[in-house]
Amino acid sequence: MDPILTFVVILIGFYGLSTSTNIIKSVFCVTIIESGVILLFLNLGNLDGGTIPIVGEGVTMIADPLPQALMITTIVIGSTVTALALMLCIKVFHHYGTVEWAEILRREEGK
Amino acid sequence: MQFIPVYLIFIPVITALFIYVFKNKHINYLALVAQLAMTILLIMYFTAYGDNPEATLFVFGDWDARVGISLYNDRLSISFMFLTIFTWWMVLIYTFNFRETDHNFLFFLMFLQGVFLGFLQSNDLFNLFVFLELTTIIVTILIAFKKTGDAYRAGIYYELINVSGVLFFLLGIIILYNSFGTINLLAIKAGLEGMEDLTALRMAYIFLMVGASVKAALFPLYTWLPKAHGVAQSGISALLSGLIVKGGLYLFIRINDMFSPANYSYSDFFFVVGGITAGIGVMFALSQKDIKQILAYHTVSQVGIMMMGLSSLPTNDLFYGGLYHVFNHALFKSLLFLGAGVIIKAYRSKKVADIRGVMRTMPVVSILMIVGMLSITGAPLFNGFISKTIIKYGIYDQEWKYWILFFVNIGTATSFIKMSQIFFGPRPMTIILKDAPQRLSMIIIAFSCVMLGTLYIPISSGYFGVDLSYITPFGLIPLYDYIATLTIGFCFYKLVIEKDVTMVRYIREFKVSFETANYLMIGYVVALVTYFIIL
Repeated sequence: MDPILTFVVILIGFYGLSTSTNIIKSVFCVTIIESGVILLFLNLGNLDGGTIPIVGEGVTMIADPLPQALMITTIVIGSTVTALALMLCIKVFHHYGTVEWAEILRREEGK
Repeated sequence: MQFIPVYLIFIPVITALFIYVFKNKHINYLALVAQLAMTILLIMYFTAYGDNPEATLFVFGDWDARVGISLYNDRLSISFMFLTIFTWWMVLIYTFNFRETDHNFLFFLMFLQGVFLGFLQSNDLFNLFVFLELTTIIVTILIAFKKTGDAYRAGIYYELINVSGVLFFLLGIIILYNSFGTINLLAIKAGLEGMEDLTALRMAYIFLMVGASVKAALFPLYTWLPKAHGVAQSGISALLSGLIVKGGLYLFIRINDMFSPANYSYSDFFFVVGGITAGIGVMFALSQKDIKQILAYHTVSQVGIMMMGLSSLPTNDLFYGGLYHVFNHALFKSLLFLGAGVIIKAYRSKKVADIRGVMRTMPVVSILMIVGMLSITGAPLFNGFISKTIIKYGIYDQEWKYWILFFVNIGTATSFIKMSQIFFGPRPMTIILKDAPQRLSMIIIAFSCVMLGTLYIPISSGYFGVDLSYITPFGLIPLYDYIATLTIGFCFYKLVIEKDVTMVRYIREFKVSFETANYLMIGYVVALVTYFIIL
């Protein structure tokens, strides 16, 4: 996969983040950006024809292990962030009865 | 001795886990014991290593420093650590009675301290990223802790904006790793010596700066701050405004230090951004009616003033003005938030118009609040005066910069004249709950405000080696200056703010939606790209 394509994924995420009016969609867009960033880093550390970074007999070309180690951490953090954000979505829905950003703002002013 | 940085990260985290496992009445004291142990460890560490930062590089597991996790401390990070531990002491004392029934709160509070101390010490970019994300997650939980609708909404707003900002930071890390094969700050700094000027490196600088700016709440990206700091509990607001926002500024200093061999001319750009942030913050603060919103918008404006100082090169005195303002602001803003918390609890209202006669009902709290207000408006003999004067002297020869600071000062004075109306008026029928720990923490902070305002010469020359003896708070000229500022502010208050003219009402009702905030973030990236690459 070309690094340019991962940039496209990131930009799609930002497009969604700045146009979607729904909290859940915003959470998904953040996840999309995160996936794009992770793909980009893994791509740059990869070698054509290389194998997984476990040194053994007859292994000559391996991928760079550091990006993989870092990105597994990023994935874990990303899942935590998503879980927390979705939990807050549920709570917001319980309090306002909607998950639209603009609608919440309107109900807040009406109070 | 060498392991003290690691202890400082893990003592609060392990204490937090103990608190979560054994939820009983006495666990409250465990936090104080842990806090005391950390204070002693940090003082020992400072006396042993404060003078030779080279010896403080600590690499986990004896890995090569280029790939391993490493911690590094210099005078700057140790001073931030002292500030962190001091602020946490104050918040722990302030919330002492409240916590007896709520152990989850203490769990998150102590955990956040460990994370923040790790953030201040870490020497590789990826660890900075991890600690930033952890800070975001825990702070989100603490904002939403009040369990009201707007607290949840502010929490999710805070989380999404900060996470997407920090993802920019990660993009910057990727570019730097691709160019240098390491994520160690010191190794990258060494690698940048003699490196030719590449567009990719400038791109990395821009992405790292976006991450730092979102965390520091600079001009187009500040929208999360008033929401989050306005709805959180007062102790948490004090922590967020006093310290967590400074995390972004600390990141700004560290990144600029890392890129110092590349000699990017960032001063003017970030001065303008800081000036606009200060102006916008004051403008919104003037229009607000909610006491905590006023204080939150003042955090935005004060961050702008700090940025005006920090944007200059670290060899300037102006830089130390900004740095000194970071510490001063941490003290007086936490004092104001803690005092506001006491008042709001007694009056059961956040509106400035509803609160009257605080001087009669709570004289001690009023005096402490007045100390905070005098500090933030820059009265002589209080700490805000010193840092604002250093910044004023630093930009004395450039007139437009001087005018920005002048207008921000007037606005600050006006806004606190407006807020000081709560002290006057008849004594209302309110039930005042006497809470000794709350008073104690506020008295300690007020005392440190006055101490930093009078003993600034030995502190700054002893710690940072900067001679500030040219600033004299005694004498008539600073006093005349201050009285003139207050007079203009008072006239402005009487003529414009008190009458609530249409313009003020319009600014108060101006709201930035989440989508617009993201457009603004992209716009900020475009502005940085325009300044650093195209121009």
